[in-house]
Amino acid sequence: MSKTHTRREVLGHAARGTALAGLGGLTGLLWLKANATFAWSINAQRCINSRLGAVGVDVCERCSTECVLALSAVRAVNEFKSCGRCYVCPAYFKITSAVGPDGLPTEKVCPRDAIKREAIGWIDPDDPANNFYDYTIDETLCNGCGRCVLECKEPAGLGSIRLEVRHDTCLDCNRCAIAQACPEDAFDRPEPA
Amino acid sequence: MPRCASLGTVLPRVAGPGLLLVLVLFGVSGPAAAQEHVEYERPVDVAPTEDTIGEGYVTPEVQRPRPRAAAWQIADVVLLAAALGVAAWLAIWRRQRGWLVALTTACLLYFGFYREGCVCPIGSTQNVAVALVDHTYAVPHYVIALFVLPLVAALFFGRVFCAGVCPLGAIQELMVLKPVEVPRRLDKALGWLKWIYLGTALYYAVLPAIERDFVICRFDPFVGLFRFTGAAWLLMVGGAFLVVGIFVGRPYCRWLCPYGALLSAFSRYAWRPFSITPSRELDCGLCQSACPYGAIEERRAVRTSCFACGRCYRSCPVHHAETPESVVPAAELAGRPPEAAP
Ligand code: SF4
Ligand code: SF4
Ligand code: SF4
Ligand code: SF4
Ligand code: SF4
Repeated sequence: MSKTHTRREVLGHAARGTALAGLGGLTGLLWLKANATFAWSINAQRCINSRLGAVGVDVCERCSTECVLALSAVRAVNEFKSCGRCYVCPAYFKITSAVGPDGLPTEKVCPRDAIKREAIGWIDPDDPANNFYDYTIDETLCNGCGRCVLECKEPAGLGSIRLEVRHDTCLDCNRCAIAQACPEDAFDRPEPA
Repeated sequence: MPRCASLGTVLPRVAGPGLLLVLVLFGVSGPAAAQEHVEYERPVDVAPTEDTIGEGYVTPEVQRPRPRAAAWQIADVVLLAAALGVAAWLAIWRRQRGWLVALTTACLLYFGFYREGCVCPIGSTQNVAVALVDHTYAVPHYVIALFVLPLVAALFFGRVFCAGVCPLGAIQELMVLKPVEVPRRLDKALGWLKWIYLGTALYYAVLPAIERDFVICRFDPFVGLFRFTGAAWLLMVGGAFLVVGIFVGRPYCRWLCPYGALLSAFSRYAWRPFSITPSRELDCGLCQSACPYGAIEERRAVRTSCFACGRCYRSCPVHHAETPESVVPAAELAGRPPEAAP
């Protein structure tokens, strides 16, 4: 196409070319260290409720209170394979509460009654203390308040319960309100490998 | 020789680089291993196993939903690119508003209410800034694409992202019912706010991780409306913006949006921005009062502030009264790209 370019056009092309090159460079730079996913997750080794060695601390309930969702996207999760299946689970029973006629504490830890307790395996009909129990957390009730997580830790618990972000409910906020409020910096998006 | 570029020759020219960019963006990434959660194993040897529990007990599966599939992220980027292309085509070649409104509504429903507004190109500015200064921070490929694509589009066609793709713009666009004119100098002065906002947002984003905050996301007035949840005061601010927006067209876009600041800078050098031309329009000045955003000066659309909404075309006697056929010859005479005539 034969046509003359005005000075203005040439300058425009130059500016556009420069800007495109700049964007390209920026993209390349970011691309080199891009990570694949961008989902928020909880580093259980940092969360005060599950961190080993953090004994005698107060429970942190920010995961349940800070989320922008009315029912937080965080849930407690029992990693069954490391659960002791205790007869008196410190995360299920409030072990400091009065003992009832059945020999078990009368109060529960979970304020929402989200944990189900069920005898499993070979069941001893005479001595319930001889049985193993599965503690299953009801997804629809738990709001991730972290109380059970804190109790399921040494000295009494094995640390099998931890908090996790439910990726199917989490909105993937670019600025997660919980991450912003977490005092332990435990809430983050995994860094590139 | 008159510059006689038909749609057939123009679109490939611009679609080429665009498509290439998308392909490069995703071709390079490949199926990178997704890292959903930080593996966390306690060395527990006292826990009973399936064998010690007996009775055929099977350890229950731990329920752990995966993050949104990568395919969806790719779909989002492809949709964004497609919407940008369609917006450019409708605003710059078809020169009509009707379908632009349809596109705006569709994008509001998808990017706004369905995808619930996160992550968006506006907020991604912060992620990009952090990634540039913090070597431990990275953004995923699709967020890079979200950030870059509207800017590239702005270099070619002006603010077509604002025309019909951005959900924040869309929700305001549909509220403009009784626009009043804002005094030009006030408009210009308020326009500087978005640069201040951009600067503030970048400052807070590049702070060390523990003090870092994403203020654009924190004070996003509309995302709560998309989600039907959020802090009460922010929902009220969002509602207030919409109510004010009935009379003052797109206040957030014009004066506050930090990404809008970048877009207006990039669209200054747009290759073929939205235009009001004597050859395609009547040059009578009727459009001046039709623009609710004060984006027409001396009967020409100002490329840095025009949202390519197409209202001016609707007010134009040429586009309004005549059939496209009678416009085409005039356009060809003047050497402008004619309508796509199949
Ligand atoms: S806010 Fe942080 S420390 Fe508190 S429960 Fe959540 S992850 Fe744990
Ligand atoms: S995190 Fe809170 S609500 Fe969830 S199961 Fe544990 S105690 Fe109950
Ligand atoms: S990203 Fe949003 S929805 Fe998800 S946990 Fe954080 S605040 Fe809740
Ligand atoms: S100015 Fe900002 S909020 Fe408005 S449409 Fe453009 S990008 Fe969206
Ligand atoms: S000049 Fe005004 S009316 Fe015309 S498209 Fe741009 S913003 Fe809309």
